[in-house]
Amino acid sequence: METVTWLLATIGIALILAKIGDSIIERFELPGVLGELVMGMILGNLVYFGIVSPQYLPIVSGQGFTTDITAIANFLAKLGIIFLLFLGALDTDIDQLKKTGVTATVSTVLGVFVPLILGWFALMEMGYPSREAFAGGVLLTATSIGLTVRVMMDLGVLKSEVGAASLSASVMDDFLGIALVIFAVGTGGLLNLTLKIVAFFVITGVIWWYLVDYYIKFAERLHVEKGILGMALGMMFLFAALAEGWFAAAIEGAFMMGLTLSKLPEGKRLMDDVRAIGYGLLIPFFFVHTGAMLNLTVFEHENALILATVLTTIAVVGKIIGRGFGAWITAWGRGRDFLFTRENFWMSLQMGIGSIPRTEVALVDLMVAIHGGAIPPSDAPDFIAATLIFITVSVLITPPLLKWAFKAEIEKAKAMKVAQKVERINETKEKIRELKGQ
Amino acid sequence: MEIEQALKTFHSLRLTDINHGVTSLPVVTEDADIMSVLKILRTRHHVWVVKDRDSMNLVGVIRYLDVIDILLPPEAHRFKLGMTSRTMKSLLGGATKAGDVAERNPLTIEEDATVLDALMKMRKYRVQVLAVVEGDKLVGEVSLRILIDELLRLMKVGGASWKQ
Repeated sequence: METVTWLLATIGIALILAKIGDSIIERFELPGVLGELVMGMILGNLVYFGIVSPQYLPIVSGQGFTTDITAIANFLAKLGIIFLLFLGALDTDIDQLKKTGVTATVSTVLGVFVPLILGWFALMEMGYPSREAFAGGVLLTATSIGLTVRVMMDLGVLKSEVGAASLSASVMDDFLGIALVIFAVGTGGLLNLTLKIVAFFVITGVIWWYLVDYYIKFAERLHVEKGILGMALGMMFLFAALAEGWFAAAIEGAFMMGLTLSKLPEGKRLMDDVRAIGYGLLIPFFFVHTGAMLNLTVFEHENALILATVLTTIAVVGKIIGRGFGAWITAWGRGRDFLFTRENFWMSLQMGIGSIPRTEVALVDLMVAIHGGAIPPSDAPDFIAATLIFITVSVLITPPLLKWAFKAEIEKAKAMKVAQKVERINETKEKIRELKGQ
Repeated sequence: MEIEQALKTFHSLRLTDINHGVTSLPVVTEDADIMSVLKILRTRHHVWVVKDRDSMNLVGVIRYLDVIDILLPPEAHRFKLGMTSRTMKSLLGGATKAGDVAERNPLTIEEDATVLDALMKMRKYRVQVLAVVEGDKLVGEVSLRILIDELLRLMKVGGASWKQ
């Protein structure tokens, strides 16, 4: 069989396993993406441990396994990230985002920069070069809110002030996490890079913001099958090419195109088509491909474990301190008198704990940093292992920590339910008494 | 009237000519309770959401299919990156008002557009109804039901029957 045949077979196996893995992990109320990563890890290690020859399973690359055919698999995975970001941005409700309160904004900013700076300095202390250390810090910035929402809902606290602020903050820190990776992969002097970043955001965020409407109207006039979708994707790839050319971060282009398109009803109507391409093919392939890059032999050396321990600790502690402190100093908009109260402390702690989970954006940033050269190939296995570990730990520890942090609210809700039950019983007894009296 | 001629006339009709105004439209304000929206959706396929009844500034639309997102628990939806829009529509996810569950910026068409323009837009975006607007103000709607009614009326006026 030809190599292309094996690539096609690999894509097929990867997609089937991705969906099965996703479904299994979801049953444990954990993010399905972990299942896709685990399936990828199994596939990849069949190659690393020599059980299957790399030519029959061309899903791993680097570490001496790169061939022409794995380069195609790499590119497919890259398209997966591009579609993931495009979809994420397209689904954004910018009007809602503008309404984000002060507490959510301040806690987001601190929740992003505290782990970033802690991670950056810690990795530099460990001997990593500044650019690589910065990339390591960026991996720790963005929260994945899905798990927190699920747990908060189970606990009955999603509608609380903390729940609402956590949701807004997490959407915003995705933006920051995605934007900051530019500084990790961007090359050239700081001034040159800054100018390119400003020019890029002026073109894609300001000028295009006003032009996108005319562009879609032009696409409407073409009267061809899926013409609007094709034109939108075409422009997305042009933006991605611009971002790749300027800062080796194609995702930024896809993200900005999605964001500008999201303001138009016509853009929103494209979501189903884009989702079909993304989640039907490219995005699960990206996650399986990422999982496949974890060579388990990396744990034979202590470097990966030390890096994983450092990043995991900062990922957890940095977020709790950053976002928690950010929420605390705003006193939830209740004035200075509230600042040093026990309630402010607990609400801020809940906010911090809710921001611990990391998944997609950390993986996206990791892949961008590796492909963009911010993390060199020699260190890539350690970073991949460390990232997958801190993602797993962050996802596993959040539910019990949230339950602990919301203990008082849960007890209060339980007590209220009991009181309501007692009240209902008493009312029924009263009615029975009245009926007997009659 | 021959069917070809009826269709020709039909296509060139301006939406102003077939617009029934806003009095009969399913409209709620963005602060309306979700339950009142659900009550309307028992008999209608969509509800327009406006800022207030005086300005009639269009905020969004709630479609029949959106009821699925409203009734499902948040965990039934996936979270990917910032994708919270569907989850936030869930009653259990915290949605309480019409504005929370409405699809913002619905597809619109200007009042001076023709029926053909409306049909083309409906086909391109696979929708059955468009909001007819004058600037940001909701002045009516054009739906497939209205268009069918209008075509049948035209044919009746022209004396044509469906047998032809």
